[in-house]
Amino acid sequence: MIERVCAPDHILCAWGLTREFGGVQALRGVDLHVARGTITGLIGPNGSGKTTLFQVISGMDRGATGTISFDSESILGWRPSEIYRRGLARTFQLSRVFPELTVLENLVVAGHRRDRSAAERALGLLERVHLREYAAVLGKNLSYGQQKLVEFLRVLMSDPALILLDEPAAGVNPTLRQTLWEMVRHLNGLGTTFLVIEHNMEVIADLCSDVYVLSDGEIIAQGDFASIRNNERVLEAYFGKSRKHGAA
Amino acid sequence: MFNGLRRLNGRWVGAVLVTFVLLAPLVINDYHQSFLLQVFMVIALAQAWNLISGMTGYVSFGHAAFFGVGAYAGALFLTWGFPWWLAVIKGAGIAALLAVPLGFLTLRLRGPYFAIAMLGLNEVGRIVATLWVNVTHGGSGLTLSPELLPSLDVKYFTMFGLALAATLLVAWVHRSRFGLELRAIREDEEAAEMVGVNTTRDKVIAFVLSAVIPGAVGAVYVMYTSYLNPASAFDNARNIEMIVVVLFGGSGTVWGPILGAGTVMILRELLWAQFPSAHLAALGVLLLVVVLYLPGGLISILRVRQQKRPDARPGESP
Amino acid sequence: MTAPLLSIHDLEVSYGAVQVLFGVNLEVHAGEIVSIIGPNGAGKSTVIKAVIGLVEVQRGSVEFDGRDITNLPAHVIPSLGVTYVPQGRIVFAQMTVTDNLEMGAFLQHDSRKRREAVDSVFEQFPRLYERRSQPAGKLSGGEQQMLAIGRALMLNPRLVILDEPSLGLSPKYVDLIFEHLLTLKSQGRTLLMVEQNAARALELSDRGYALELGYNRFVDTGKKLLANDDVRRMYLGGA
Repeated sequence: MIERVCAPDHILCAWGLTREFGGVQALRGVDLHVARGTITGLIGPNGSGKTTLFQVISGMDRGATGTISFDSESILGWRPSEIYRRGLARTFQLSRVFPELTVLENLVVAGHRRDRSAAERALGLLERVHLREYAAVLGKNLSYGQQKLVEFLRVLMSDPALILLDEPAAGVNPTLRQTLWEMVRHLNGLGTTFLVIEHNMEVIADLCSDVYVLSDGEIIAQGDFASIRNNERVLEAYFGKSRKHGAA
Repeated sequence: MFNGLRRLNGRWVGAVLVTFVLLAPLVINDYHQSFLLQVFMVIALAQAWNLISGMTGYVSFGHAAFFGVGAYAGALFLTWGFPWWLAVIKGAGIAALLAVPLGFLTLRLRGPYFAIAMLGLNEVGRIVATLWVNVTHGGSGLTLSPELLPSLDVKYFTMFGLALAATLLVAWVHRSRFGLELRAIREDEEAAEMVGVNTTRDKVIAFVLSAVIPGAVGAVYVMYTSYLNPASAFDNARNIEMIVVVLFGGSGTVWGPILGAGTVMILRELLWAQFPSAHLAALGVLLLVVVLYLPGGLISILRVRQQKRPDARPGESP
Repeated sequence: MTAPLLSIHDLEVSYGAVQVLFGVNLEVHAGEIVSIIGPNGAGKSTVIKAVIGLVEVQRGSVEFDGRDITNLPAHVIPSLGVTYVPQGRIVFAQMTVTDNLEMGAFLQHDSRKRREAVDSVFEQFPRLYERRSQPAGKLSGGEQQMLAIGRALMLNPRLVILDEPSLGLSPKYVDLIFEHLLTLKSQGRTLLMVEQNAARALELSDRGYALELGYNRFVDTGKKLLANDDVRRMYLGGA
């Protein structure tokens, strides 16, 4: 068997990730390598398996086969809380803020257990996005956009090395969206790696140095956005293939 | 008036109550002392249920199972010659020991399935107690001879001690990091796991803690009644009482179960103590009141309203 | 030119504070197949939901057969002759195929007419006839989609609206379903559909509307849209 090694400048490597749900192959042998310190994009049409891939990498879905190496450790089969503690965090497409906990509690619970200054750090983060005065507000009383922002801050509490962002700006108004992307850029400048699922191609073009395209459970293209955008296979994946046209 | 109540400092109220409890045996008669003992018992059980169900969100319909285990274990150790306090400790210990594997099994289940599994456990307890005749004397029950039993005062203070310990435990958990994690589990267990909370470990710990108390309470109870049979040890009414008392008082809070226990017991004394079969029906009515009018329990009337959001800043959508 | 069967004027729809449609215009003439295509977040499904009353329209209007149906409650729409095949093959899994079909005709009180409708669906979809007594949950994805379409036909609608009919189907079933849609057209029905698989949808359609971010981007005949490279590039933020 060929020994698969993740290059040191790659923070996340996945080989042959396969996930089947009752006869349907959601992921078919996905290979993925995310370089350290990048903002890498993950795009693909609806139903292509992007969220499933995130579920598998983050440990929420333990039913996949293959290999996942994060920061030189094999993490397939680890439980999500362990993966989080190791430095890999993930946000959800639909806000999962804890509704009956205050904003501050939402953040503190995501910090390190023995961190005595967790509350301070949390307040600092809230300050950065002008939400400090919401610290004592219950999660359910925030607007949806604010919830998504708080959810984003939540995963920052453990200072992860890699963050998986699942459509972080969906349902968020333009002003908060700006704030969010600015924070992503800022953190990336400080060394945090991001893998981002996004449908907004402008954002992908603007932010991502590397893009993976997933279609029907397979990676069909990888590269910078300019080359992706003109890739026949990618266009076909999004647009579909008519039977009357021959091979492009 | 309510403004004044809101500013009540819990510690002062607590201090007053504790003083009252400690001094009460000097002035009240045995009947009232027994009544208070029963109030303490309900408080202790309620706080235990509060821990796993109110705070962690795993609603148990069968926590009387641990009460029953503690009662039988305590009774047996007593008859085997152990001093009463050791029997209580051992009773609690057996309950806790059982709670570990049971916790790992049942806590895999969510919501209604967990509730029913716990109900099932209670039934299993009752059946085992009925069939294991060599040890438990089955349906005819165990009788404890009076010379083994401690005095009413001792039982009174012990039960009070358990109620106090249970309340302090809930108070501590409430303020602690552990309690924050439990509440996060209650809100959204998957999301909690995703932000680093080891949900399995936390749930099992909460479950075991919620079993230890009923175990101890059961052991003291059997010394109070001096008689135990499967029906009274694994009494479904006790299950329901635990739930209604907490919901009525205020689930997930520290004072809620105390308020609830006090109110229910006083109402019982005043209204239906003469008609024990009406007890369950009365609990049902209280439950209806909670569901229809007081979802937050009694304590929500006294509490400061939770803050609404500050006004939206310009440029942000409200 | 005859008046369109369905027309949508300057439609604006918001979900709470987030506006999704910014003045969409669309027409469907009797006997046509019209497709709405576009990248994610374009608002395609929202247009459809506005027509059948599942979302509130803030501005603009929807007219069907000369009548203003804007913001009518959803349960009124089928009685006007418009039925809907929702996304994801929503069938009643525990009920048999026949019962599922009957559910589609609950407005029809005459049981003989109901049975006739069931029979005509079975004629159109022999596969469903074969499985008529099986619980719908046991059918394959493609068969369930046929069932969902059959159910929408039970009230003999003039306009059938389909939300992503090919979603999650294997290529074989996509072919089959689209053939059935062509047959429906030959029977004189009018179809409006939202489709992910733009190429196949446009192949089938008389006309198409390409939406992007809540706006009309392109409108043309199916063939012309198919040949238009800009339409393809729209999906990846180009053009």
